[in-house]
Amino acid sequence: MYTCKDAINLLLNFLDGEMTPEESRHLKEHLSGCAPCVDFLRTYKATPGLCKRAMAQQMPKEVSAKLTEYLRARIKSAS
Amino acid sequence: MSDEMSDEAVKEEDRQLVARAQAGDISAFEALVEAHRDKVYGLTLRMTRSEADAAEITQDTFLSAYQHLKDFRGDAAFGSWVHRIAANNALMRLRHRRVVQAAEEEIQGPEFTERGSLAEYPLQDWSRSAEGKILDAELGRAIQGAADRLPEGYREVFLLKDVEGLSYEQIAEVTGDSIPAIKSRLHRARLALREAIDQFYNQGSAGG
Repeated sequence: MYTCKDAINLLLNFLDGEMTPEESRHLKEHLSGCAPCVDFLRTYKATPGLCKRAMAQQMPKEVSAKLTEYLRARIKSAS
Repeated sequence: MSDEMSDEAVKEEDRQLVARAQAGDISAFEALVEAHRDKVYGLTLRMTRSEADAAEITQDTFLSAYQHLKDFRGDAAFGSWVHRIAANNALMRLRHRRVVQAAEEEIQGPEFTERGSLAEYPLQDWSRSAEGKILDAELGRAIQGAADRLPEGYREVFLLKDVEGLSYEQIAEVTGDSIPAIKSRLHRARLALREAIDQFYNQGSAGG
């Protein structure tokens, strides 16, 4: 019988769909009797999406202007 | 569904721009730069945490893309190709820098009892509220702070996989690490970030 720790250790493989049939059976067994781990799984699954949104960055206008200028100069001098 | 389609449309537009740029049309290359600069800059800024480095690496990345444009075969999307060049450049920059690293033991994660049960049960399932359209600014800062506290190798893997969307194979190629090592770090990074988000959602209910 899996403990919470065993189950949580497998979550990445579970979400990647990369578990052995045996691991999959043990995990399902554990989750069916452990509500906290079901909540944990849901929040673990939601984490990457939230993080992606939190880490979004836009290039400031002055930096993009410099980039264009830089590339034009370099491309011109190379051709 | 509509996202996937627009993604395909973008790729098709890129393919046409690449073909024109390969034939010497500089304005087509500039259009590619304009379409991808935010993502490339974002990646390099997140990885290096320096605006100056990010601006410089972005320049190098697009210049290098231009110089190697003739070798680009178009079997991969232009976006993922420049992304990998940028990731490579950012990693090289990081490896040359001496950064005070957080120790691995300091990575936060769930705590377990001796018998392997969760020591603290999640107080609430916030996965649904996380789907809201607007990300709470304070939550954003909490996540950025938690990502900053990750040791560099963990942070890199998290950024490349969960933020930039590279595959494990691509990350292995860029970092030189094995896929099992990458997965193990990604898992620990996600646990730490999940913990930070959990603390954010529970800070209001902690006292009561």
